[in-house]
Parts: sequence; structure tokens; C-alpha cells
Amino acid sequence: MNICLGKTIHNSLKLELSLARQLHTTSVCNKVQAGRYKITSKKTFPLTYEMANPPHQIAHRKAWNSWNTANVLDGHRPSETAVEDQFIRMFITGTWHALFASEVIIKRQHNIIRIAGLVNGSVLPRKMYFLIGYTEEFLSFWLQCPVKMELQVIANKKDAVFKYI
Amino acid sequence: MNISRVLSKQHHQLRRIKLWTYLFSTSAEEKIELPRRIPRGPTDILRALESTIQRDPTAAHYKYHDDPFLIPKSNATKRTYAMAREAGKKAAHWVRSENPELFNHKECDPPIEAFFPKVVFDENSEVTEDDLKRVIEKNQVSDAILINKLLAKQGAEISADTKQGLLELLCYNNGDDTLNEEFIEERWFRQSSRIRERQRKIWKDGHVAEEIFISIDNPTAEAYSAIIQGMAKYFQVDRANHLFEEAQQKGLVLNIDTYNSLIRVANFLKEGYELRWTYVINILQAINSAGIKPNLGTLNAVLHTLSTMGTSQNVKDLTLKTLRQFKDLGIEPCLGSWYYVLITYCKERGPKSNILSYILDEIEGKTFEIRDLTDTSFFVTAMDVSRNHLNDLNLGKRVHSLLLKGNNYNLIGDSFKESVYYRHYFALLLKNIPLEEFMQEVYYKLVPNIYVPEPSIMEEVLNQVEINGAVEYIPKLWSDMIIFEHSNRENLVNRVLNLMVNAHTADETDLAEKFGTIAWDIYTSINDNEERKYNQLSFTGDMLGNIMTLALQNNDFEKASTVMEKLDKGHTTIVGVPKFEALSLFVDHCIKNKAPSKAIRCIQYASDSGFPDAVVLGAKLNEQLTLDKNHLESLSKIVDLRVL
Repeated sequence: MNICLGKTIHNSLKLELSLARQLHTTSVCNKVQAGRYKITSKKTFPLTYEMANPPHQIAHRKAWNSWNTANVLDGHRPSETAVEDQFIRMFITGTWHALFASEVIIKRQHNIIRIAGLVNGSVLPRKMYFLIGYTEEFLSFWLQCPVKMELQVIANKKDAVFKYI
Repeated sequence: MNISRVLSKQHHQLRRIKLWTYLFSTSAEEKIELPRRIPRGPTDILRALESTIQRDPTAAHYKYHDDPFLIPKSNATKRTYAMAREAGKKAAHWVRSENPELFNHKECDPPIEAFFPKVVFDENSEVTEDDLKRVIEKNQVSDAILINKLLAKQGAEISADTKQGLLELLCYNNGDDTLNEEFIEERWFRQSSRIRERQRKIWKDGHVAEEIFISIDNPTAEAYSAIIQGMAKYFQVDRANHLFEEAQQKGLVLNIDTYNSLIRVANFLKEGYELRWTYVINILQAINSAGIKPNLGTLNAVLHTLSTMGTSQNVKDLTLKTLRQFKDLGIEPCLGSWYYVLITYCKERGPKSNILSYILDEIEGKTFEIRDLTDTSFFVTAMDVSRNHLNDLNLGKRVHSLLLKGNNYNLIGDSFKESVYYRHYFALLLKNIPLEEFMQEVYYKLVPNIYVPEPSIMEEVLNQVEINGAVEYIPKLWSDMIIFEHSNRENLVNRVLNLMVNAHTADETDLAEKFGTIAWDIYTSINDNEERKYNQLSFTGDMLGNIMTLALQNNDFEKASTVMEKLDKGHTTIVGVPKFEALSLFVDHCIKNKAPSKAIRCIQYASDSGFPDAVVLGAKLNEQLTLDKNHLESLSKIVDLRVL
């Protein structure tokens, strides 16, 4: 940022010297994009509640997607936790193909990992039980700690849509 | 103001008394005794907390996901869901065993063996005795056999201890791998097929176990004990007995479990009751002369043999004597022992015996841990006895409260035993308590999360509804029957229909409406599924007649006409005919709704079905409705109106 500012000043000085132009006065574009979605022309892009609230609303209007104490003072395994959470999310989206209607919420307490989310009830309950058993057992083997799933089934995928933009 | 004064006065007095007692009491110093510290385990607090919670009958078992979509409602879904989850687990195990190299990271600290892939042995593995010890420890039978073979090929010498361990493992499992302990659902839902197997020899003759036994020169008492127990457990009884005699001749002291296993198979060895009992006595004497102390297993084995010895009074006396003598030895019977006592005393064809109430006096209010395999048979047998043998409500309730005490529910056995237990419990209550109490206290509480009634129990409930004329329960019962998948059982459907027809709902319109809906529900469900090949209910004339009557009672003429049409069209295919009252009612409603052609078709159907009273219907129609020429013509073709 500092270098950038220095450069700008330097450039403008150069300009002033050469063309006698005054200092550049257009406001700086501080555009923040992370966690925000573009509005489509026909306003057909579905957002969940979590998506509809930008990151600065965390702890105000929405909560975290990963719950753990890895990043507090003296927390254990911060980087590993982040990588594992990413692994879990990708594993879930792949294994529960087109079934998860919400974000994958990962909660860690002691050595237990609980994975929560809204699931679309478009498959038979017994298939869902198969997936639950598979996911829990597989992730237990991978992460080597007890993994549990806490799912809520919604009748329609649209039930998880908060708004369209 | 007054009160405060009184209070302060009292306070003053109290202080004075205290002072006096302080001054004049003998100053024997109160000794504070600190209780000894009780050593607590790491999970004791959790256990204490757990003991405060009871099973919540409004929620499904915790193995199921707590979501309306995923909560099972019928016996079939309970089984399917739990097994599907286990199948998923197995799939994960399979993936891990296919790609063990991907799972070699060690994330957990301290390492937990269960999360790591299993070590696989094949023909080319380098093995040592330690590997063999490890797989014996982990109960991996086929691996143990393989490693033993490899070691023999390498010419490695195995220590006597390991060899003994291997022999014991093979004898215990009959050389077969057992179901992984992790798969509890499979164990829970596995039908008790073991009972059927129980009756025949399944010991593998000449298998690895015997090879190992032969390879030991000069077998020790332990080796003999292991092989005899194995053979007795899998019913190779003659050779077990032979080896036992061999060991006796050699003067070896076998362990007590070996003697127990031999007593247990006495009914295979000896045919006659007398011979059998002499054999048992002989073995008991052998125990005595060997100077070993009998244990609970001995008691249960003797009781088991006694339970196979018919119904004579002598056997019952012997049973009591056995219990007494073992009690003198300081051996308390477990639930399994009581189970044997029950089956000895309460035989189907024997005289009635009230022994259960004495047993309950003995064990009531206690909590039990499993000590014998047959412990899990006690509750189901006790409930069976209270229902079928004695039909004693009080006993049944006592058994049930014993089951709910502490962790006794763990001894219910498996899903099969559990449902048999509840079947008996429900049948007993149904016969002996008022229906209303049954529904409020038992049915609404336990169904469906704890128990789903089988069709036979449902029929019994419907019976009671009929006897009590409590038709208001029918809507609830019918919706349950749909959920429990009973709605394709002809006897139950007919039962419900008859109940609804016979109930006089004329003055209760909302009930009539509900019944109408149920009847229509039955109609559509059978009608829609007619194409299905198996397990399909087909209409009978009576069923359709009942449906029609119910629709009419609900003043739904349109639906009744649909049913009538169905009857008329399927005249040749539908078995049986409706009751005449149903047809008569339909004609009445036709008159009410001014639909003469439908009435005529109905009369046609009635006369085709051979009801002689069809002519009465025709007359009624003619009387109450002015018919046009066409109608009159067709009506007179069916019935001779001039007769009347």
C-alpha cells in the first residue's frame, strides 16, 4: 500500500513536472469482493441466507461455517484444521452429489468433528442413511477421530434459498 | 411490628438455651469422619449423568437421524435404515482395504489402531511369531491360520504358549471368522438363526484346530480343555467325550469350563432322561474328585440339561435342589439360570406353575450385568410365561418394570427377541386392562418408536375396539396401519371396514366423514395397485359393499356410484357379493339423489347376484320415484313388478 502510494505520488509529481497537471483527485476505488455475489441481469441467481450476508455480518446476522479453536491463542493445528475443513467440504460436495442445499458447517469439539447442513430430500431415506454411514466412517478413517453428521432434510431445494439476485 | 418483637424474643431465648447447653454439656468432641475416597474412572461422571436419563419414547432410537424424513416408522424401515447405515460403513471399510497405502498417515495421537488399515497377509508375507500373537490377540481367525501355515513352511518353531493361544482361538470360533464387532446393527438384526444351527454338528472335523492338537506331542491339560470345549460347543459330542475320557485316563486336570461344556451337551450324548442325569452326576463327581470349584457356568449347564428332561415332578425337584446346593457353594444364579428354571417349570403341555412370581420376589429391583449368554433370553421368556402360561397381568407388569430398571434393558437380546417380548406384553395388556387405559398408557407411549405392533397384535387391538365399541380409535389405528404397512393384509382391512360399517355413526357426522375418507382411501389404494404382481390385495364383493356403505353414510353419492360401477363391471372377476343392505342403501340414496338409471343398474346387479329381494328394491324405486317409460321398461325386464 505504501509503495503504491509512493509510486502514485511519484508519478503525479512527474506529471506535474511535465504537463503542469494538478494532483490526481479521483477517489480511490476500494472495492471489496470477497463473499459477495454479482447480481445477474434477470435476478435468477439463488442465494442461501449465508451467501446473502457479506462477511462483515459474521457474528451479527450469521455465524461461522467452521467452528473450532485452532486460531485462538495457543490453539492447536491451525493450518491443518483449515486444510482438513476444506477436504471435508470437497468430500461432502462430491459424495453427496447435488444433495447439500446449504453450506457445510464443521464444528469441532475436543476430538469430535460434527458436520451439519441442510440436505435435499430427493433420495430415499435408506440411501441417505448409506451416505451418512459412509461419510462418517470414511472421514473417521481419514481424519482419525470420531466424525458425526447432523443433517436436516428439506423437502425442496428452494427451501434453502433466501433470495434471488 | 408485633411479629418482629416476638421473633426477637424467640431469638433471645434460643441464644440463652445455646449458651446453657454450651456451658453444661459434656464436652465430648464430635469426631468428623471423612469418608474414604472412592476411586473414580474417567467415565464415571458420564455414567452418573447417563443414569439420570430414561429412554424417551417420543423420540426414535438414537441410532437414527433426528429428522422427520429420516425417522423410521415401521419395522421394515427400522431395519432398512439401520442396516443401510451399516452398509455405508462397510463401504468405507472396503475403500480403505482396497487402498491401504492411502491411509497410512498418523493423525491421531496417541495412535488408535481402529483407524489404521488392517495389515494384510498373503502367501509371500514375511511373518514371525509376533505377527501370529498379534492376530490371535485381535481375533482374526483366517489370518491366524494363514500365518501358522507360513510359519510352518519357513520351518519356524512356535512357542507352546502361542500354539495354545492359536488352538483356543480356532476351537472357540470353529475356524471361522466372526462378524466384526463394529457392526452392531447386523448383530442386532440378525435373525436368531443360531438357534436352528444349534441342533446339528457343525464342528469341522480334521480342520486346522485338530491338526494343531495332533501336532502337540504330549498335549497338556489346557490343550485338551480347548479342543474338548470346541468340539462340545459345535456338537461333535462323541469325540469330545472320547477325548475327555482319554484326558481322564492320563490323569490331566482339565479346567472347569470343559466340564461345563460337557454337561451342556448331555442331551446329545445320552438318550434317556435317567442316563442323562447319571452322566451329569458322574461329571459333577469328576469335578469334585479333580478338586476344582464349580462356577456359574456349571450351574447353568446342569439347569440346561434338566430343562431338556421332560416335565416330571422329579426334574423340578432336582432343579430346586441344584439351585439350593449351588447357593450353598456361594454361587448366585444369574438371569440365564432363571431362564432355565422357567422353561423347566412352564412347559407348554405341563401343569401350570407359579414359579415366576417366586423368581421375581428374588430378583425384583435388582440390576444385572450379562454373565451368561442365555441371560438375554430371560425377559422374553418371562413375558411369554406371564402371557401364555399364566395370563397374569400383575406378573407381566413386574417383569416389565424389572426390564426398565437400571441398565437391565441391555439384556433384552436382539431386535427379534425385543419384538417378541413386546408382542407378549401388548397381548397380555390388551386382554387384561380396559382399552382406554391401554391406548393412553401403552399404545400412544410405545408405538411406534419403541415397538411397532405386528399384524397379529393389530388384529387383537381391533378385536378389543370391537368388543368395547370404541370406534373413535379407528382413524388413528388406520393411519398407523398404513404407516406400519399392514394396509395390504386382507383380514385387517376387512376387519376395519366391518368395524366401521357396524358402528352406528348416524349421529356423529365427523366420525362418519372420517370413516368415509378411510373407506375411500382403502378403495383407491387397492384400485391403484391392481397391476402389482405380488403381495397385492384384490377387491371382494363384501369389501366393496362396505366401502360403498361408508361412502353413503358420509352422504357421498358420487363415490358410492364409482364403487357400484366397479362392482357392476367386475361382476365376473370380483369374488363374492356385497351384503344386500349395502345395495338397498344405495338404491335409497339413488332415490334421494333422483338417479333412476344408477338404481336400475344396482337392481340389475342385485338380481344377477341372486338376491331374491331385488324385486323389493325395484318396487321401492317404482313407488318413490316417478320413472319415465324407458326406465320402467328396463326395470320390468329385471324384476317382475306385478308380483308385488
